Amino acid sequence: MRETFHRELEKLDQDVVRMGALVEAAIEQATLALAECDLDRAQKVMDGDDAIDDLFLDIEKRALSMLAQQQPVAGDLRLIVAILRAVNDLERSGDLAFNIASVVKKDIDIVKLRKVSALVYELGHASRRLLSRALDAWTDKDVVVAASLDDLDDEIDELYERLFRELFALQNETSFEVAMNLVLVGRYFERIADHAVNLAERIRYFVTGDEEHLG
Amino acid sequence: MNEPVFSVKDLNVSYGGNLALKDVSLDIQPREITAIIGPSGCGKSTFIRCLNRMNDLVPGAQVEGQVMYHGEDIYGPQVDPVTVRRRIGMVFQRPNPFPKSIYDNVAFGPRINGFKGDLGELVERSLRRAALWDEVKNKMRKSALALSGGQQQRLCIARAIAVEPDVILMDEPASALDPIATVRIEDLMQELKQEYSIVIVTHNMQQAARVSDKTAFLYTEVDEESMSRWGILVEYGPTGGIFTKPVDKRTEDYVSGRFG
Repeated sequence: MRETFHRELEKLDQDVVRMGALVEAAIEQATLALAECDLDRAQKVMDGDDAIDDLFLDIEKRALSMLAQQQPVAGDLRLIVAILRAVNDLERSGDLAFNIASVVKKDIDIVKLRKVSALVYELGHASRRLLSRALDAWTDKDVVVAASLDDLDDEIDELYERLFRELFALQNETSFEVAMNLVLVGRYFERIADHAVNLAERIRYFVTGDEEHLG
Repeated sequence: MNEPVFSVKDLNVSYGGNLALKDVSLDIQPREITAIIGPSGCGKSTFIRCLNRMNDLVPGAQVEGQVMYHGEDIYGPQVDPVTVRRRIGMVFQRPNPFPKSIYDNVAFGPRINGFKGDLGELVERSLRRAALWDEVKNKMRKSALALSGGQQQRLCIARAIAVEPDVILMDEPASALDPIATVRIEDLMQELKQEYSIVIVTHNMQQAARVSDKTAFLYTEVDEESMSRWGILVEYGPTGGIFTKPVDKRTEDYVSGRFG
């Protein structure tokens, strides 16, 4: 019964994780590029965004075809809806990694601002960890792991606020432009974490059918 | 919540001593479309045929339990099955017009019921309600058998409506029709539910999802030892829920095509 369809749906589900892995790598590389002012690495992150976008379009297209051709219902329908939303979050996260890399390309040297640099680095790692955990939860369709993302997201909000305070304290030591760019980078990481939390919400929707929002 | 049209309690049906339907209890609400889905042999048709005592016509059929229709047990000793069937009309899988004119097909029921009013007006009204009037108004004396399958099925619906029933039972009313005729029947059902309560048996799950307000999923239970099988009601609820978030694993597996 509908084996071909269910096999394709399974493959689509796995491709979400594959796309997630690309995004996760992009975030990691963007964080490293930023911390080390590595312009080449930043460029690679920017170049890699096309692969993420291609996969996004491919998954979206296949999901829409399944809706049109297979008229999925029940768990199948919820999974496809969850996938369509999840890849949107991942695609946005990929764009944010791209944005972070493009800030690095402006050659902002944050290595000198040691305290801030450490914070940004921490923020980058924390948001990547959050996405990583969301993808684990996605792979296992584990609502308990998904729910645990909420606490981690609070940590990220806290780091983001600390970044603000540090920059404010350093206002005489750095240019307005560098400070602005760092605030932006902080904001991008914080948004990536929000998308990871959204991804977790999609898991909860798939498993329980509830539209309740986590964050 | 409205008073239910039907309140079925602990319904058990057997044919020649073999159980066909076991312990079915459910309420059917007025002015709604209730769909009965399930794999072949799960007792969908058996169930719907209990609602107007059509099973009385099957030799060896035995019905136990209660089928309350507006609070009255239609299997009660003083109830006339003919009266029941006048209030609860039925449309079958294959369109089955009488080999008579279009007009006479619709006028047949009212005539034998001794209808005293304006018969022509009643025929027109019934055909209009069945969304067939415009196609047949100029050939009322022509044979009903000259109509297309889809038109014949709408004629059968007009014929059912003409005796002013309260409920229309439909046993796979569109399964012998092409997609366009099917869509017309489905649209018509939405019109008809303003005035009638409709119960439809369908093995087309998409159709149940499209047309119905409530869906009941029947499933075949097998006794491994005796290899006998009978239908049970697995899940019953609002159609949106059945097709997005079914509660029972068997419903989930059936509607998503994991078995059948």
